[in-house]
Amino acid sequence: MLSKYKRVMLIDDNEVDLKINSKIITISKLFDEIILCQSGEEALNYLSRNLREEDKLPDFILLDIQMPEMDGFEFLEIFKRLPSPITEKCIVAILSSTLDFGDIKKAEANPHVIRLFKKPLFPKELEEVLAKYL
Amino acid sequence: MNATTIRVLYIDDEENNLHAFKASFRRQYEIYTALSADEGLKILENVSVQVIIADQKMPNTTGVEFFKNIKHTYPDPTRILLTGYTDIEALADAINHGDIYRYITKPWNDLELHNSIKNAYDAYKSKIDLRNKVAELEKTNDELNRFIYSISHELRAPLVSAMGIVNLVKMEGLFHSSGEYWGLIETCSNRLDYYIQKTLQYYKNNKTISENTAVDFKKLVSDLIELYSYTDKDMHFNVNITQNEPFFGDAFRIEVILGNLISNAIKYQKETELNKNVNITIEVQPTQVNIAINDNGMGILNEHLEKIFLQFFKSKINHGSGLGLFIVKEALNKINGKIAVSSNSIEGTTFKITIPNVK
Repeated sequence: MLSKYKRVMLIDDNEVDLKINSKIITISKLFDEIILCQSGEEALNYLSRNLREEDKLPDFILLDIQMPEMDGFEFLEIFKRLPSPITEKCIVAILSSTLDFGDIKKAEANPHVIRLFKKPLFPKELEEVLAKYL
Repeated sequence: MNATTIRVLYIDDEENNLHAFKASFRRQYEIYTALSADEGLKILENVSVQVIIADQKMPNTTGVEFFKNIKHTYPDPTRILLTGYTDIEALADAINHGDIYRYITKPWNDLELHNSIKNAYDAYKSKIDLRNKVAELEKTNDELNRFIYSISHELRAPLVSAMGIVNLVKMEGLFHSSGEYWGLIETCSNRLDYYIQKTLQYYKNNKTISENTAVDFKKLVSDLIELYSYTDKDMHFNVNITQNEPFFGDAFRIEVILGNLISNAIKYQKETELNKNVNITIEVQPTQVNIAINDNGMGILNEHLEKIFLQFFKSKINHGSGLGLFIVKEALNKINGKIAVSSNSIEGTTFKITIPNVK
């Protein structure tokens, strides 16, 4: 069965959340393919490895903020300097459980972030945003 | 001599005075003497003294000049200036620039000098104690900030994962597969999450300094309604906002206040009511904003009206945390707002708030 959108990338150091969110996306049939990354580095490696392979790049990235070593904001700093095929194709939203005012403000102020989703992820919310941006 | 020996440095170019001082006080204090400012400085480099006495009239560097010179390098010891009656100018200078604690006229009276040294030591000690206390408080404060940050993330993250699992169970149609267990897990998780959120709100309200920005009430109210009516779609909202001019206020606290009141209005409805209503009226004026939030919910008992703003007050019938309205009141106190409430079981509850416009 074909889903509405092609590829989503989930970046989260928390394995449980990766599992939950990929399951939610699978059940709600929003994407055909889910790329799971347990760190920002892993995601960046994947993106630069598939720089020229349009059919491997994600359309949408769901990024966690608090991760060890490279956090979500550091990931975005490097991400925005990637070649334009990637930065134009991949739309980034943050998915975090944070209630910290500083984090929320910082996420909202980042021009590369279209939306801050709070965990737990509701498929309906995600669907609305996807309909608007993809 | 006991452990709290007071170390005193006395600088005077007249050696006789130094001898006399030692003779009078060597039993009470640990005494260091110097014949000039330069010599005094050398002693300061090696010994940490608590009280410095300096004679004003010395060749090369005067007492006041010496105190001025060490103001930044040795700010802690308390300073006493020894001077003749006539040195008014030196005195003014000493007080204005030398940061002296006391001046004593020569020839000194032993008892007076002794008392002055004792008092000077007390002043030194309170200064150091205060500084240690401040450092200690800063550390505690810092730890508390980190603790709150970890509550907002570390503690909440696994809870939110559990809530995500419950959602998955619903999506897979398994919610009723184990009797009411999943529902109970959901209730407990939501409750814990609610407490974490209220704790953070309370803490932030206490700590955060008021920051005034432009507030767009139309956007704020529609965001809050969207956020809190998620669970209850058959609620009807009548929103009436008149904002013809800019409003400046503490956006964080106003959001906390309206958020708590709107979520209460949604939460405490009558189960039997078919026509659930929440009316929100906001009118922005040049000096203040008037807000009224009314619901046709279960109402608040008369004898409870006075207690609803107290911390941990809960009524028996509804299961609140006893924090929501307390936080509302605390937040209003911080931004000089006022709140009034009226309620009965027929017309429901109305909260009226005014918040100053600080533009």
